[in-house]
Amino acid sequence: MLTKLAMTGFQKRWRDYLVLFSGLIMSSAIFYMFEALATNKTFLKQNTGISMVGMIFQFGSVLLTIITLVYIGYANSFLLSMRKRDYGLFMLVGARKGKIGQLIWLETLLVGITATIVGIIVGTLLTIGLSQLLISSLGLTLHHLSAWYFPAALTTLLLYVGLFLLAGFFNLIALTKTPALKLLHSNDQPNRPKLKPVRQLVEVILGLISIAIGYWAMANLDKLQMAGIGIALVTIVLGTYLLFNAIFVWLVVLLKRLPFANRGLNGFTLSQLSFRIRNYTKILSIVAMLFALALGAITVGMGFHRQVPLMVNGGNAYDMGLVNTTGSQKAQIKALNPTTESTYRFKVGKKAVYYRASDFDQHPFITMEQAGHNQLKFTVKHNTAKQLLKSNASYQLNSLQGSAQQRLRTQMLSDAQYAKLTQPEQRLTVFATADVTAHTAALKKLATSQRHRDTGLQGEMLGGRYTGYQLINSMYSGLEFMGFFLGVAFLAMLASCLMFKILSGAAADQHRYVMLNKIGTRKAQLNGALRKEIAVLFILPGIVGVVHVLFGLKMFSFIMVGSPYTGIWLPFLIFAGLYLIYYLITVQIYRRIVLQ
Amino acid sequence: MSTTPIMTVTDLHKTYGKAGSKQYEALKGINFDVNAGEFVGIMGASGSGKTTLLNMLATLDQPTSGEVTINQQPITHLKGNQLADFRAKEIGFIFQDFNLLETMTAYENIALPLTLQNTAAKKIKPAVEVVAAHLGIAEFLNNYPNELSGGQKQRVAAARALINEPAMLFGDEPTGALDSKSARELLDLFTTINREQAVSILLVTHDPFSASYCQRILFIKDGKIGQELNRADLSRKAFYQQILDTLGTFEQ
Repeated sequence: MLTKLAMTGFQKRWRDYLVLFSGLIMSSAIFYMFEALATNKTFLKQNTGISMVGMIFQFGSVLLTIITLVYIGYANSFLLSMRKRDYGLFMLVGARKGKIGQLIWLETLLVGITATIVGIIVGTLLTIGLSQLLISSLGLTLHHLSAWYFPAALTTLLLYVGLFLLAGFFNLIALTKTPALKLLHSNDQPNRPKLKPVRQLVEVILGLISIAIGYWAMANLDKLQMAGIGIALVTIVLGTYLLFNAIFVWLVVLLKRLPFANRGLNGFTLSQLSFRIRNYTKILSIVAMLFALALGAITVGMGFHRQVPLMVNGGNAYDMGLVNTTGSQKAQIKALNPTTESTYRFKVGKKAVYYRASDFDQHPFITMEQAGHNQLKFTVKHNTAKQLLKSNASYQLNSLQGSAQQRLRTQMLSDAQYAKLTQPEQRLTVFATADVTAHTAALKKLATSQRHRDTGLQGEMLGGRYTGYQLINSMYSGLEFMGFFLGVAFLAMLASCLMFKILSGAAADQHRYVMLNKIGTRKAQLNGALRKEIAVLFILPGIVGVVHVLFGLKMFSFIMVGSPYTGIWLPFLIFAGLYLIYYLITVQIYRRIVLQ
Repeated sequence: MSTTPIMTVTDLHKTYGKAGSKQYEALKGINFDVNAGEFVGIMGASGSGKTTLLNMLATLDQPTSGEVTINQQPITHLKGNQLADFRAKEIGFIFQDFNLLETMTAYENIALPLTLQNTAAKKIKPAVEVVAAHLGIAEFLNNYPNELSGGQKQRVAAARALINEPAMLFGDEPTGALDSKSARELLDLFTTINREQAVSILLVTHDPFSASYCQRILFIKDGKIGQELNRADLSRKAFYQQILDTLGTFEQ
């Protein structure tokens, strides 16, 4: 009988359960996605070559576990608040506490396990979709990435089931210890926002100090090593929470005193915010952290992506060098609209390759030379025959030659000396396009045809920017992929956290909006109030998150060549766009719940 | 007392359920007027249609047919912003369950109708203070609803309903959740407001005691007005007895 009652309760509130389920599924899916990378040791090793990455992932796992803990805490209190009335009713009709306890236990576990299993499946599908999207749009090469990775699934399942077991115990105690009548009338009690200047000042100071320590740790990662990441994580989370706690309360109280609060529904919106202030400070600090992680990951991923052509261009001034080009190859080169193209004549002796110096004097050979310590700053040098022989960068000519010539010395001869040599004359054509990354398909065709003709040109033997691009791209692909992948995953987690929190309060807001409607509030005013309230909850953690990222990026200055801050606006813009979409969706759903 | 009607109700019908399916007619043609400054009660048993009627009169629901005018303005076809503005300016509500916003203080609750109209902040404060003093809640203005007793909450709700100086004040069992002392105080308050500020009041109740404060009572049964009582010069006690007698025969 009770089971039947429980089921009817379930059917009646399917909409709320849908919110609960989708939130939990999203959370476990993302946790799985993360673990699929973090627990896959071969993938990490093969694709990064940086041992630190594995450790960063482990810290990430810990952080995500903590976030999941809080997240499930919220989900559980949402579930509990939905069921309180029903269970109170069961008690009134005389159900035994033991029986109700069983029901609660069963329901919590059932909800948890179902959501986790669906979440793992969704996570696998998301991993496939996202990795394919990233691979095709960024031109990445990845090894050993498997969307379905059993250890990751197991970790996810164990963690979630464990947490739900805990939640079940908690529910059992919370519900069976509360008298039936209290369960029936468990309306939220407002928090009276109070200004406690001393306490808040202490919170602000402590918060700022912790954040400062965190930022300092991130900036000095080269000295602190792994401990730095640990310190930064703890202090920044703590500092963010303290700051939100102190400033949010203070801000709302202050705003309420301004004339601004007397216009339209502004006062109502502020009261709404202060009503749930305690709950929101926790979620907002988590969201700020996730925001920073997501944005940071995408920015770093993008930084690596942007870095590839820079490094490639520094390696050589030419895209490729071809010996004795055929007619069709000449046509293909012409089709590429090369920015520079030179042909040098040479003859091959036993120990050396003999070039005509005059060719080089007429068409100086361009080399790229590193300027100062920054690995990504190069000066372009035009070399005559003499200059080239003296230059440290003469290997750049060497690598463009055919396989037979690369083993030999390079010599420059005057026209007279050159004419004396009896060996057949050959030609080396070198050319560069405006952007090697834009012409990879055409260059690949040329490279393949040349490798057919000169079978010694294996792997990296075919020098120039094209080969450099392939090498560096495969080296950085793993890092790029992780950056983007984690960025999107964290963003999804953040948004579902925030959406979940906001929507779980929507049911309680329903009667408030109905009431406002009854006393004559225009629809536009209601919509405005709702948009503003949610906007505040989105913007505040956003601001803090951006600040965290700006400092956090310092951490990557030692893995990344050049500054991690260059071109930062692009990932920020993309992120803002995605964030805006989440905001609009939340407003839409919220409106549907409260305004109907 | 003036005799111009502030509200006229003409042949009001309300049918629930779509055509073709099983229909239920809750109101079967209601006609009456309320004069400016009058204190009218509507009584009836549960299911008699009195709440349905109130919802129509107070623009919370639309009738199937018939017309209601308040202050010479037909209200049954109002929509969107017109409807919202009409509610905000012309009518005030007091509900059985107070319907206060528990997230806001008493002051903020009372001021809400004014801030909705973007009234200047300078005018809001004195207006709230005047109405709060009148209703004896000046000392509770900074409290949240959950810090107030039922009677105090209902007076806050009354203050919110009155702050816009509405043409009509509607009460839906306003004493339903109050103890007898608070109920008596609230009804005395209604009488005072009605006499001194000439606010027209329409009270829906099934409680004869509350009804005895009215000047005129309409009895509803099965969606129609079955009987009408006028207090005239009777004392409240005598009128109360008359209501009890009427109910005794009316419900048979």
